[in-house]
Amino acid sequence: MEAATTQKLEQLFQARLHSAMRLYLDSCARCGVCVEACHAYASMPQARYTAVGRAEVIRRIFKKYFKLEGKIAPWLGEVLPMDDATMDLVSDAAWSCTGCRRCMTFCPFGIDTQLIMSIAKGLLIGADKEPKLLTMLSDMSVAKGEGIEETRPAFTQAIQDLSAEIRALWPYAGDPVVTVEAEGADVLYVALAGKHSIIPAAAIMNAAGERWTLSVYEAVNFAAFLGDSKKMQVIARRIHDEAVRLKVKEVAIVECGTAFRVMKYMTGPHPFKVVAFVELISRYLREGRIRLRKDSLKGTLTYHDPCQIARNGGVIEEPRHVIGHLTADFVELRPNRAENWCCGGGGGLVALGEQDFRMKSSKVKAEQMKASQAAIITTACENCHSQLTDLNQHYGLGMKVEFLSKLVADALVK
Amino acid sequence: MAAQAGADVVTAASAAAGAAVADATSAASQVVHTGFALVVDRIDYIIMVPLVYVSILALLAGIIWRIAVIMRSPPPPYPLRLYPAARRPGLAALGDTFAMPQVRKHKPLFWVFLMIYHVAFVLLILGHLDILPHVSLLPPDSRHMLGAGGVGIAVTLPLIYFLMRRLRSPQRDISVFSDYLLLLLLLFLFLFGDMMSWGNSWSPHGFVMSKQDFAKYFDDLARFTFADPRAVLPGSHYHFAVIHVLLAEVFFIVLPFSKIIHTFFSVPVNMLRRR
Repeated sequence: MEAATTQKLEQLFQARLHSAMRLYLDSCARCGVCVEACHAYASMPQARYTAVGRAEVIRRIFKKYFKLEGKIAPWLGEVLPMDDATMDLVSDAAWSCTGCRRCMTFCPFGIDTQLIMSIAKGLLIGADKEPKLLTMLSDMSVAKGEGIEETRPAFTQAIQDLSAEIRALWPYAGDPVVTVEAEGADVLYVALAGKHSIIPAAAIMNAAGERWTLSVYEAVNFAAFLGDSKKMQVIARRIHDEAVRLKVKEVAIVECGTAFRVMKYMTGPHPFKVVAFVELISRYLREGRIRLRKDSLKGTLTYHDPCQIARNGGVIEEPRHVIGHLTADFVELRPNRAENWCCGGGGGLVALGEQDFRMKSSKVKAEQMKASQAAIITTACENCHSQLTDLNQHYGLGMKVEFLSKLVADALVK
Repeated sequence: MAAQAGADVVTAASAAAGAAVADATSAASQVVHTGFALVVDRIDYIIMVPLVYVSILALLAGIIWRIAVIMRSPPPPYPLRLYPAARRPGLAALGDTFAMPQVRKHKPLFWVFLMIYHVAFVLLILGHLDILPHVSLLPPDSRHMLGAGGVGIAVTLPLIYFLMRRLRSPQRDISVFSDYLLLLLLLFLFLFGDMMSWGNSWSPHGFVMSKQDFAKYFDDLARFTFADPRAVLPGSHYHFAVIHVLLAEVFFIVLPFSKIIHTFFSVPVNMLRRR
């Protein structure tokens, strides 16, 4: 690696050394309590798949370039120089971590390995060793936003073409069934590219009599997976600007954990409220704005808490409230809520493909699903849904994997 | 009557033995050393007096510097809290720090040793403060230190467990050289401390060096007299005391620059996930 590149990486590292990062890098006692927290380690017991194992790669670089110890006694902390071999270790650490932060619930200090991995991802971008697919997806996302004026008419037409499918779920909506970027709406709903993320949500909001409108932007933020904070801000900012322009009171984020956490906690502050779509459903049920048939599901239902929505987003009881209106035949996964096993598809792994690693590293998740003996598993996150579907197929679990919004839309009392 | 007579005999014997030790010490301190013995005397003195001040200064300066670096760094770009959110984040962070519920839940045996170790460490600090003049946690005439040696054992045994634990996978796989070095430093520091506080009472005549002797040494340090401690710390155990003090000094100097800085960072770092 050239000296100039090393210097550039050192500067990139330095730029991310805020107070929390320094505390995380300095406090770890390598006690090993976090070891069993990671689904990857639980499925493939190797030190490199532990939270501390991943963080140590970054910590050893930190010692080398930013600590006295690394200058006078590098052997003490077994420091690592920024070279190609180290970058391979950095890549292995960064892209085997889903950023689920389950390890934080084990660590006596609460060290955030996802945050430490943001250094790893930043270094990989600086060394031009990041996964190019995610760079491409991030750039495409930015470009789509920049060219929105050209695609808006086609997008609006495509949405109107969904009217029949939305009416099939809730026939009493006025015309148009969906408005796009309508000023004066109370709620701006930000969906994903697929119609599966629009149809059930539209039916539910129409059934609740919500004054809502659809964003022209996608909620997904590939730059957050990539670890490119500037692009992440650009992608989130345009939703912010759209919401401000339309003067909405709330932005409801589609069932996508990362999109929700990025919008609610990692960007902002916003002059509007940010909610996960499942929170909106729960509110409609509480206020009696929608009612659900409790006999629409065949078989036992279980719920997978998406990491970014539950332990990292605080939306834990709302999905259970919704499920309470859907069925009496519900069983919890063990563990659940804040301690639920990660699905193994987060952090960009589903977007990257990585089928082999995802299946092997999530064996413990498949075992957890199987142990529930449920017939249906539901969740409120696109990534989790994709990963659970793959696990279901790979391990032959014979379950149905459903979005919670779809179950609700199918059970609407008409 | 017979019991009283027996007690008198023991007291007399003890007094005689004490006088013998004092005489021997006095004689030893009056011996003029030359050659290698003189070099050892000089090194002992440097360790027991000037280096104590230097190491304490280094400890304080190091801690202040480390805290200043954290405080001067920019804040994190977004909140790092975990859910469900604590109603009282400050109290929750204190609970995380001092009760370590995460460890209790996932590694109960490790937690037992950690709790014994940390509580005993606090008592250890109090025990050393008790030696200082004008600080009286125990009656001034007590020949024992706080815990009568039990505190030393309570830090030593967990440390042996920590070391054994670290030698096994998966802890071994995530450990670095300094982890073992720190554990060994502390282990030997405590073992020599145990000799001072406990082992040195095993001689046929009772304490070789009592708490009162250490108090005289601490008093001299506190008053910056720069007197030679050999004059107040009697007997052949003096070299154990020198090694104990030397290891403590290394510990003080290393602390701010090692992972033991978690002593000071635990509360703020735990606040991050609770706030």
